[in-house]
Amino acid sequence: MIGAACKHTRRGSWTIAAITLATALFGAHTAWTVSAASSAHAEGSGDVLSLGGSVTEIVAALGQEHRLKARDTTSSYPPSVTDLPDVGYVRALSPEGVLAVNPSLIVAEEGAGPPEALEVIRAARIEYVEVPEAYSRDGILRKIEVVGDALGVSDRAEDLARKVGADLSTAMTKAERAEADKRRVLFIISANGGKITASGSGTAADAIIRMAGGVNAVTSFDGYKQMSDEALAAAAPDAILMMDRSGDHAVDDEELLSLPAMRLTPAAETRDVIRIDGMLLLGFGPRTAQAVTELSGALYGGEG
Amino acid sequence: MVAETQSFTAPRDRHLFARQLHLWLAAFLIFCAALSLQFGAADVRLSALLGKLVTGEPLSQMERIVLFDIRLPRLAMGGLVGAALAVSGATMQGLFRNPLADPGIVGVGAGAGLGAILAIVLGSMLPLGLTQLIGAQLVPVAAFLGGWGSTLLLYHVSTRGGRTSVATMLLAGIALGALAGAVSGILVYIADDQQLRDLTFWGLGSLAGASWGKILTAGPLIVISIAAALCLGRGLNGLALGEATAAHMGIAVQRMKSVAILSVAGATGAAVAISGGIGFVGIVVPHLLRLACGPDHRTLLVNAGLLGASLLILADVIARMVISPAELPIGIVTAVLGAPVFLWILLRRRGVVDL
Amino acid sequence: MTLEARSISVDYGKRRVLHGVTFMARPGAVTAIVGPNGSGKSTLLGAVSGDLPHEGTVSLGGRDVARMPIWQVAAQRAVLPQASRLAFDFTVLEVVRLGLQSGRSGDRADIPMRALARVGLAHYAARTFQELSGGEAQRVMLARVLAQVWEPVDQGEARWLLLDEPVSSLDIAHQLQVMQIARDFASAGGGVVAVMHDLNLTALFADEVTVLSEGEIIAAGTPGAVMTDAILSRAYGCALKVSTPPARNIPYILPHAAAS
Repeated sequence: MIGAACKHTRRGSWTIAAITLATALFGAHTAWTVSAASSAHAEGSGDVLSLGGSVTEIVAALGQEHRLKARDTTSSYPPSVTDLPDVGYVRALSPEGVLAVNPSLIVAEEGAGPPEALEVIRAARIEYVEVPEAYSRDGILRKIEVVGDALGVSDRAEDLARKVGADLSTAMTKAERAEADKRRVLFIISANGGKITASGSGTAADAIIRMAGGVNAVTSFDGYKQMSDEALAAAAPDAILMMDRSGDHAVDDEELLSLPAMRLTPAAETRDVIRIDGMLLLGFGPRTAQAVTELSGALYGGEG
Repeated sequence: MVAETQSFTAPRDRHLFARQLHLWLAAFLIFCAALSLQFGAADVRLSALLGKLVTGEPLSQMERIVLFDIRLPRLAMGGLVGAALAVSGATMQGLFRNPLADPGIVGVGAGAGLGAILAIVLGSMLPLGLTQLIGAQLVPVAAFLGGWGSTLLLYHVSTRGGRTSVATMLLAGIALGALAGAVSGILVYIADDQQLRDLTFWGLGSLAGASWGKILTAGPLIVISIAAALCLGRGLNGLALGEATAAHMGIAVQRMKSVAILSVAGATGAAVAISGGIGFVGIVVPHLLRLACGPDHRTLLVNAGLLGASLLILADVIARMVISPAELPIGIVTAVLGAPVFLWILLRRRGVVDL
Repeated sequence: MTLEARSISVDYGKRRVLHGVTFMARPGAVTAIVGPNGSGKSTLLGAVSGDLPHEGTVSLGGRDVARMPIWQVAAQRAVLPQASRLAFDFTVLEVVRLGLQSGRSGDRADIPMRALARVGLAHYAARTFQELSGGEAQRVMLARVLAQVWEPVDQGEARWLLLDEPVSSLDIAHQLQVMQIARDFASAGGGVVAVMHDLNLTALFADEVTVLSEGEIIAAGTPGAVMTDAILSRAYGCALKVSTPPARNIPYILPHAAAS
């Protein structure tokens, strides 16, 4: 009996030792392989770390993509930048990850963080430029100017801003409608499980809808909120706008429009669901004029 | 009776093994610490730095920052948080006489979560002066106050006439958790999408925000709380036989309960405040140790502190290496490693665990 | 170094279950508390051992227990509860060792094994407590209690065993074994107070018997003096016949119906 109990205890010791050791080996192995692989990173040849999708787009539009060394997770356009190392989500950066990239300049959209990471970056005396965010034509031009100054290509930035500004003005003028003709647009950011989270006012979606000559169907709150079926029916959107996330967000039109909340809306009758790439639509970068034209075209037909 | 002593010798002693384990785990902790200083996204290696120290070659600025401002505080924070969670878990389990009890039971998690959400969502509404004064520490401070406050509230509610009812505390904890969850839900509704993302990341837990400032604020509290908990071994052992029997054996039960609850609130509250929600350490670590060398709390608490610190430091190495230069929230790593072990424990003990 | 409980009253909610009872026990004797279910036996022991809030004072050797530090009380007396539930997988030996923690200092490392041997369970030392039968668990708990007050007399002062129905879940052989342990403890100068159900076992092993009925003591004294037809029949509310086999002069109790 004593023997059996001892064996039991000993087996317990072995179990814990095995689990602990396995974890340790796994950790060590991960560390080793990754650190060995890190030298083989497909690092960009430049010395600039770009944080924020629209910032990266502007850098590329300024013809400075070759200067990028790394990017954050939200930077996915132009597609070529996805080859660069990813330092993580722009608001949850790892300080060592940023230092590991060893940039001499960081261009970051407003709200990058956390503050502890920024503190370390400051301590490392890496030049850090924050690009202010604003959902408007002037806001975009201001971003271009700031990024251009940071990269020391102010002239190019001026050219780009002039061109983007002109495109935006043209697109917005074309999209302009008389108040009575404006269609009511509902931007849905998520329809998971039949629960619809839509945009109120003060968001990038709200801004792009207005720039494209539409009216945001929901203005009773700020930001993105889950809405009740009745509130959605009462919002009576003429069209529904969603991000086109190429597949991973598989609520198809049929499913969406058959939701009780949607069935009563004018949009369901006309089956008017517009899907546009999220970064293009909400990025407020150099491509926003294109987004305005696409959205306006989708809303009002070819003449938009 | 003297003759009997000769004929019956004590069987092989796992208490002795538990004491030897102190040394082994201390060595393991040092190994993990070295690993944590050696590896990171940046190409700075402890082995190389030690070489430079020997030759007297000065460290580069990059090396100094990576070592002293990033990896060392992370190491310290990982060790403190891991030890705090594991020791608190063991203490709670002893106090509630249940191997599945978790610091969350005394409302620390729910309260800290509520505090953090309040700070993240409503922080921007504070008068500017106050925000600047507290600055980046707002969320941790609020989380700590929330965790500590809810525990004290629970403690107060379940203590009548100088006696704390552990059962009342358990049930009141569930109620308070639900209430905190509801309030959090309301706040989530108010939150904008940036704040929501911050909330998600806070909830997953991370050591990425490690800084000497946080360690200096939370560290002393964690150390004092752990030290207090380590003195409870004898009392918790007695409590395994029930409160009445513990009292018969000369244990000041009520005082011990107070110390246990305050230390858990202090250690876990501070740990959660600086690192967010990190799961499974508090349950899995003490449980593994109980399997290995028995439930004697005098050794269990010390071993839990050592193993908890080691494993969390290790988990952090994994968290920052797998998708380098980005990193995973450490809560994900502890969940991925801890959940299967936890499940294994449950299945193994099926029928024995009664809540 | 007598154990005195003066004017003990205990209330459960609004119901008073002990009515100002005064109980005394002396070292060197086994004092049994008997009485029917609900008479307040275990309640009295609960008050004496400090588990239950009560009116009145309990003193050991003239010192008020309520004013003594809890560790000092624990060094003086050990309490065996009716039933014990144990959390966690302690081994039998570890459980017995728990009793040591509150004892006096000295060379004590061998006491747990000796205590286990005393209850005949030394060979179970490495088993987990959870896998024991009810009777074995009860004996292990007795070993733990013995370990707490291993020397019946310590520095000239008697130590006490308070046992709440110590033989309730035991077979006849182990009933005798456990009662013999209590007897030996008392013979060595210690004090034993035991709540008992079995009147014949009580008559065999007790030096003093206190009979409780409806929260009051109706008789106290030697078994020969207390265990009479009249007192027991009154206490238990049924006709009982006490006979005394002349050889040993120990009362022997039979239900009336069977005796006639």
